[in-house]
Amino acid sequence: MTHLQSELKSLKGDILEMWQLVVNQLNKGKEALTNFDRDLAEEVVENEKRVNSFELKIDRDCENIFALFQPVATDLRLVLASLKICNNLERIGDIACSVAEFVLDADTDFNKSILESTKILEMYGVANEMVADTLEAFDQEDTRLARTMFKRDKILDQIDQNALDRVEESIKNHPNQVRNSLLVMSMIRKLERVGDQSKNIAEEIIFYFEAKVVKHKKKKQKEGDE
Amino acid sequence: MGNKLETIDVNLYYGDFHALKGISMFISENSVTALIGPSGCGKSTYLRLFNRMNDLIPNTRIEGQVLLDGEDIYQIKPSKIDHLRRNVGMVFQKPNPFPKSIFENVAYGLRVNGITDKSFIGAQVEKTLRQAVLWEEVKDKLKKSAFELSGGQQQRLCIARALAIEPSVILMDEPASSLDPISTGKIEDLIFELKNLYTIIVVTHNMQQAGRVSDYTGFFYLGNLIEFDKTKKIFTNPSKPETENYITGRFG
Amino acid sequence: MTFPESNLRRKKLGQALMFGLARAISYGIVAILLLILFFIVKQGIGVVNWRFLTAMPENGMTQGGIFPAIVGTLYLVAGSMLFAFPVGVMAGIYVNEYAKEGPVKRFVKMMTNNLAGVPSIIFGLFGMALFVNELNFGASILAGSLTLGLLALPIVIRTTEEALKSVDDTFRQASYALGGSKLYTVRKVVLPIALPNILTGLILAVGRVSGETAPILFTVAAYFLPKLPGSVFDQCMALPYHLYVISTSGTQIEASRPMAYGTAFVLVVIVLIVNILATLLRNYFGKKVKMN
Repeated sequence: MTHLQSELKSLKGDILEMWQLVVNQLNKGKEALTNFDRDLAEEVVENEKRVNSFELKIDRDCENIFALFQPVATDLRLVLASLKICNNLERIGDIACSVAEFVLDADTDFNKSILESTKILEMYGVANEMVADTLEAFDQEDTRLARTMFKRDKILDQIDQNALDRVEESIKNHPNQVRNSLLVMSMIRKLERVGDQSKNIAEEIIFYFEAKVVKHKKKKQKEGDE
Repeated sequence: MGNKLETIDVNLYYGDFHALKGISMFISENSVTALIGPSGCGKSTYLRLFNRMNDLIPNTRIEGQVLLDGEDIYQIKPSKIDHLRRNVGMVFQKPNPFPKSIFENVAYGLRVNGITDKSFIGAQVEKTLRQAVLWEEVKDKLKKSAFELSGGQQQRLCIARALAIEPSVILMDEPASSLDPISTGKIEDLIFELKNLYTIIVVTHNMQQAGRVSDYTGFFYLGNLIEFDKTKKIFTNPSKPETENYITGRFG
Repeated sequence: MTFPESNLRRKKLGQALMFGLARAISYGIVAILLLILFFIVKQGIGVVNWRFLTAMPENGMTQGGIFPAIVGTLYLVAGSMLFAFPVGVMAGIYVNEYAKEGPVKRFVKMMTNNLAGVPSIIFGLFGMALFVNELNFGASILAGSLTLGLLALPIVIRTTEEALKSVDDTFRQASYALGGSKLYTVRKVVLPIALPNILTGLILAVGRVSGETAPILFTVAAYFLPKLPGSVFDQCMALPYHLYVISTSGTQIEASRPMAYGTAFVLVVIVLIVNILATLLRNYFGKKVKMN
C-alpha cells in the first residue's frame, strides 16, 4: 500500500469510528428519553466532547492530506466527502447532545401520551436508523441505500409538521406538564434536522462513489434508478 | 527517537563563496527529513556534509560540528572516512549503476570492503534487492547488465547498492528527479518503507515529494536554514513568510 | 503581429545556400577520398596475389612480393602499441584522476599537446639519438617501436584523458560513497566505463603509426633484407618505407611502379582492417557498458 493509501485508510477509519460514536449517542439519547434515564442522558452530554475532538482530528488530517499528498480523482473525492461528512456528523452529534440536555431539563418523566401522540420515539428511531444506514452505505459502498435517505427524510418532516398540533393538545390536556410538552416540541424540531443532515451525508456518499453531484437536483434525479 | 545526526553552527565555504551559513539542525533516528529550497540554496551541499563528499571538492572549508551518533565526523582520522561512508549510504540524482551485472552492482560495496564469502554476498544481495522492492523484477536476470533495467529500476538498484553494506543513514540527492511519475511513486513508497530501518535525508526540488515522503522538512535559502519543522507544520502553517512564499509558489 | 513575407523568404534562401555549400563541401571531401582509394585500388589490385603477399622481393624489388614489409609493419605497430598503450593510459589516468588542478597539471597537459604537434621526422631523429645510439639498441625493431610509440603517446594520453573526463563524476562518487578507494574506483568503475573511448584512441594511434615513414627511417627500416627479422634487435622492412624506397630511390623506379601500387594497396587495406577490427571491438565493449 502506498503512503497516501495508508493515510486515506486511516482517515476512513477515523470517519467510521466517529460515525459509530454518533450513532451510539443517538441510540443512548433515545433510550434516555424512553426510560427517562438521567444518567444515560448525562453520559451522552459528556460524550459530545469526544465527537468534537473527532471532528478536529479529521479536519486536521484532511488538511494534511491536501497539503502533503495533493490527492486526485477518487482519493480527492474521499477527502472532500470526509471533510463534509465529518461536519454533518458533528452537527448530528450536537443534536444528540441537545436532546439529551432537554431530557435533563425535564422535571418529571415524560408522560406516555405525549410521547405517543407526537410520535417522537418513532421519529427518533427513524432518525437513528437513517444515520446508521448512511454509515453502512459508506462502509459498503451502497449508494442505493444512501439514496433511500431522501424518502425517509419525509417521514421526519411529516412528524415535525404535525408536532405543533399534538403538543398544543398535550398542553391543554396536561396543564401541569407544560414544560415537558415544550421540551418535546424542541426535541422534535432538533430531530427533524437529523434527517436533513443524513440527506447531506447521502449526497456526499453518492459524490464519493459515483462522482455525481446530486445536491439541489430534482427528486427524480436524486433518487436515481430506484 | 534520538538524534541520529546533528549539525551545530556549520559554515561551509567553497573558496570565497559562503555556501552554508551557520546551520544548526538535528535529524531524528528512523525518520525521513526532506531538504527543500531553490537551486543553489545549499541543500545538496548540506546533505554531502554527512558523508564528507564535500571533501572531494578542492578549496572547501568547513567550520562547526557535524555529529553522527554524537561523534564529530570532521574530527575523525582520514583513514576512517571510508568507514564513515560505509555507515552513511548515498543515492544520486541520476540513476548511476556501475557498468556491471545487476548482482555485481549490489555486491560492489561488499567487495570494496573486502568481503569474499560467496554465500554471504549472495544472501546479502537478495536481501537488499528485496528491501529495495526490486527482487521480483530482477531475480531471473541477476547476471544481466544493470543498464538493461529501466530508469526507475536502475534507481532502485542504486538504492539496493547503498543498502547492501548496511548503513544506518541514507542520503538521497534528488533521487527521483529524472524519473517518470510511476517510477517516482515507487521510489517514494520505498523511502517511506525504508525509514523503519534507516535514517533518511532526501534533497528534493519537488515540494510535493517532500510532503509525501518526509516527517521533517528543512527549507534552505541562500545558504541559510530558514525553517526546520515537522513536514505537516511546514506544509500547513509555516512560521516564516519566506517558507510560505516558496511552498505556495509565490517565490521571488 | 505580422512579419514581412520577403524577410522570411530571404532567410529561407540564405539557409538553403549555406546548407547547400556545406553539403557540397562534405560530398567533395568524400569524393576526393574515394578518388584516391579508387586510384590505388585500380592500380594496385592487379598486382596483388597470394605470391605478392607471401614472397620475398626479387630482382631489385621489381618482382616478387612484399612479405617482409608486411611482417615488419605488423611488428612495429604491435611493438609501438605495447609501449604506448599502457604508458599512455597510465599517464592519462594520472593527469585526469590523480593530478591536482594547478600549474603542474597544466604544464603536463600543455606538453602533451605540444608533443602531438611535433613533426614526425623529429621523432625519428630523437629516436635515433636516444635508442639507436645512446642506448645502443642499434637500428632495430626495438628502437623503431619505441620511437613510433613515442609518436603515438600523445594521442593515447589525450584520448584516455578525454575518455576519463567524460565519465560522469557521480560514478566515482557512488563508489567513494560505498567506501571505495581511489585506485579501486578507477580500476573497477571508471576504466571499464571509459574503455570504449580509450580504444578509439588506440585506433587512431594504430592508424597513425602504421603509415609513418619518418620515425622509422633512421631507427629500424631496412632498404632490403633477404630474410625475416629473428629478434627485436634486428632491422626489418616496413610497408610505408618500402613504398617510399621503391618509388623514389630504387634503381629501376619505372619497373617497380606496379610493386609500389600493390604496396600502397596493401597498406591501405591493413589500415582499413585494423580500423574495422578496432571499431568492432569498441562496439562490443560499448554495448557492454552502454549508457542510456
